[in-house]
Amino acid sequence: MPFLTDEFKEKAARLCAKYPRKDAALIPLLLELQKEKGFVAEDAMDALAKFLELPYARVKGVVTFYTMFNREPVGKYHLQVCRNISCHMAGAPDILAHLKGKLGIAEGETTRDGLFTLSTVECLGACGAAPVMQVNDDYFESLTVEKLNTVLDDLKHGRLRARGL
Amino acid sequence: MPKLTIDGKTIEVAKGTTLLEAAQQLGVYIPRYCYHPRLSVSGNCRMCLVEVEKAPKLVTACSTEAAEGMTVRTDSEKVKAARKDVLEFLLINHPLDCPICDQAGECGLQDYYMEYSLKKSRFSREDKVRRGKRRPLGPNLVLDNERCILCTRCVRFCAEVTKTSELEVMERADHSFIDLKEGKALDNGYTLNIADICPVGAWTSRDFRFKQRVWFLKKTPTVCLGCATGCQIEAHHNDNTIYRIMPRPNAETNTWLCDQGRMTYKAVQAGDRLSKGVIRNGVIDLEPALREAATRIDAAHSAAAVAVLGSPWLSVEDNAALARLAKDAIKTESFCFDLAAEQGIKDGILINKDAAPNTAGVALVKAAHGGISLGELASRLASGKIKVLVTEARAAAFLKPVLASAKPLLIVFATNRAQIPPEAYATLAYASYFETPGTFVNYQGLRRTTEPAVNAREGVKPLWTLVSKLAAYSGASLKLDSPEDALKGIDFK
Repeated sequence: MPFLTDEFKEKAARLCAKYPRKDAALIPLLLELQKEKGFVAEDAMDALAKFLELPYARVKGVVTFYTMFNREPVGKYHLQVCRNISCHMAGAPDILAHLKGKLGIAEGETTRDGLFTLSTVECLGACGAAPVMQVNDDYFESLTVEKLNTVLDDLKHGRLRARGL
Repeated sequence: MPKLTIDGKTIEVAKGTTLLEAAQQLGVYIPRYCYHPRLSVSGNCRMCLVEVEKAPKLVTACSTEAAEGMTVRTDSEKVKAARKDVLEFLLINHPLDCPICDQAGECGLQDYYMEYSLKKSRFSREDKVRRGKRRPLGPNLVLDNERCILCTRCVRFCAEVTKTSELEVMERADHSFIDLKEGKALDNGYTLNIADICPVGAWTSRDFRFKQRVWFLKKTPTVCLGCATGCQIEAHHNDNTIYRIMPRPNAETNTWLCDQGRMTYKAVQAGDRLSKGVIRNGVIDLEPALREAATRIDAAHSAAAVAVLGSPWLSVEDNAALARLAKDAIKTESFCFDLAAEQGIKDGILINKDAAPNTAGVALVKAAHGGISLGELASRLASGKIKVLVTEARAAAFLKPVLASAKPLLIVFATNRAQIPPEAYATLAYASYFETPGTFVNYQGLRRTTEPAVNAREGVKPLWTLVSKLAAYSGASLKLDSPEDALKGIDFK
């Protein structure tokens, strides 16, 4: 299994021991894999399925269900716009359209300079401050187009950092 | 034993019974998509919502256990409204391509829409989510994700019945779909059951697709002869052509049916199907072929020079007729119905270790008529005393090594050219068990009779009538006028 390093396996064994069943460690291990490479590759899913003695389809099903798992490399800043009902009603479609126009990319794409990846995600659990966008591990709430412009500029020029990745 | 009331009718059910099962016992039908009696409960389709008194919301009948004193309504206005809403929801992204859909006529969406909804959708056709259409997945199935309602019956079938777990729901929300590993084929030997249990047209059979509209099909209950398991099946046919085989679920033997068993009907209408006799490689009419075979039997001079071998691929009637031919017409002692084979389920699901359907039935013929052992027959052949061997084409393989060396004159019965062994001198065509009734005994010792679904081609007769004629040509009457005559003396217990 070339996709799972010995270091990973050691960590995995520790994680699995925390749960009554080995396969319960699937999500923490996927996060671990993502931390290593920035995304979860097809081969890594295969290797992890064998490691946890799970069917491949189960692992793939979980990875594709959660938007927090990237299946391809992403840019330095991963812009994740909530597309669910509260944000939708509070103006998420405008936020998304503005981002698409400003960055010149569609959903799921990365800008040429490798700085921004744009995607839509399911509810981020911050409906009280809709519309919401998650950048890497940080939330930006109650967004307006002006606020969005500032955030993008600050990120671009390094005045603002987003945690994670 | 909880006692509950469903639609005003009271019933006492075993502990652990769900509302859906309890209703079924009362004859109250609750619509369902994801529920299947042989799969785990998923509760995702919401079609079986019912009203339970004092419960704040409607509950799913498939996953709610019956409890003492429950009062359930399956016909209240609230339930009817919920069914309409669930159907509207399930149909939001459905492509409505019924005119080109093979499921039409046996589709859960069509049936329930007519029965429970008849409501106009509030969602526009233009906004439907598009998904992958008609992807062949494996040798037997085509998947149309647009028609799928994500009931996950197929996912659970692969996880729980075949335990191969190829399928899973991928992605999330309105863009989720059923898929398996990229580049992998869905081929676990039981895949066509998925097309059966799919309540909509998402999974369709590659073999059956576009061959026939289902409302034209007539259904004949019969038995699968693919192996010694002897599953109960239904042959679906129209205009004297069989189009597909479906399982006939029963408590004793089978709920499902293997892919191999489903293809057994193909031989009946295959290009190499025999309708006449074959002498060496030349096809001749059946009557002269029978006469030639009888002449050869007579030409062996002494009865001891002729041997008859039964076959586990033939019905009890036909084996018994062969036994009678040996005993009462040819009057030879060299006949053998001693064909034991290891019986039992090979793969934990349905496929039997014994590939022949009637080994147990042949044993009954042996019990009634006696005969010599297979080893004894082989040594008699090897000694060269036997000049003529009469048997069924596939059964000749039991004596393959000795046939090659002893070279007796081989007279076989066959339905298809592919069955004829190279050593055969004369081949006589007989009607297959999709065309004529036959009694078979499966590995559990259960007696099952095939029922003719289609008519045999003109001139093609059941094997026992050929045997009767063969005897007549040799100047003996076996008094076989019906298959029941052949069964005389056979003790089924």
